[in-house]
Amino acid sequence: MAEQLLDQVRDVVDGQIDFEGQKLAEVLATGLLAAVGAVSFLVGFFLQDIVLALRIGLAGTALTFLVVVPPWPFFKRNPVQWLPVGGGESATTTTQQNLVIDEKLLEKR
Amino acid sequence: MYNSLTRIQNVFGFFTTVAFVVAAIIAASDFTSPRTPSATIKTTNVQVVKGRPHYYSTKKEEYAIIKFSLDADLSSLFTWNTKQLFVYITAEWPAPPVGDSMNQTNKAVIWDSIITSPSADYLSNLGPATLKKLKRSAEGKSIDPSRGKLSFKNQKPKYQISHPTGKIAETDDVTLHVHYNVQPWVGMLTWNQNFDFGRWKKMGQGISKAFELPAIKKKDAEKSK
Repeated sequence: MAEQLLDQVRDVVDGQIDFEGQKLAEVLATGLLAAVGAVSFLVGFFLQDIVLALRIGLAGTALTFLVVVPPWPFFKRNPVQWLPVGGGESATTTTQQNLVIDEKLLEKR
Repeated sequence: MYNSLTRIQNVFGFFTTVAFVVAAIIAASDFTSPRTPSATIKTTNVQVVKGRPHYYSTKKEEYAIIKFSLDADLSSLFTWNTKQLFVYITAEWPAPPVGDSMNQTNKAVIWDSIITSPSADYLSNLGPATLKKLKRSAEGKSIDPSRGKLSFKNQKPKYQISHPTGKIAETDDVTLHVHYNVQPWVGMLTWNQNFDFGRWKKMGQGISKAFELPAIKKKDAEKSK
């Protein structure tokens, strides 16, 4: 019981996402931060207010952290389809598996 | 980007890059705002007295007390990136040629002041009541160029000036110069320049007519001795 709970906590903290999600996270982080930087400069320059520019920059960065860092469901939409363990049901039961390790053929039942 | 820790590192890493670039652009944006400072200064009352550099000193030195009137318009120096402005007035006079030391100038600050921009009011070294007043004067304004307008009549100098030799009375060709130093939030410190640089114009006037320091003023007490 406690172990299951710990595993769940570990999963959330670790927050792994799938490959498509990683690509999306990369694009989001770059795009959002660059946009925030541009907006904070332009607003500050045209309203002549450097404190406002600083606040926009920091708030935008906080927002980016919030969007990118947690493993949101939209980062996990394309989970990797692994092959079944042992190369499929037929393989495990009937035929031998041939594993090549260090150019030596290992035979395994 | 596969787990939370790498995502934190990536986002923070790119944030520092963005922050640096934005700061650089802000610093560069200073060149787009014109600077057209001007000042007129004249002396109103000049005295030279004898005094001691500190209480226990046995040496007596001559001190010049130069009162002045100043009208300065430094409002164009206040932009969104100006943190504070340091204004100072120097007295300058040529040194007599002694041996190899030709064309030297003596220079001493007689008065200075820090003018904060509203975004830096909290930094100013003022008492609570004065600070409150200062903050209220610019309430709702992100910049307040009117603070750059200075007008003093017969202002007492902050510093009485002397010379390493201890002699300063009857010095000729003394002029007062108005200087400023713009301290930005990000970017370089800039001083008043003697030439036009892009949209930054050189200081309009800001130099007084040459005057002579008078002979030592005798105190009545000293006369009777």
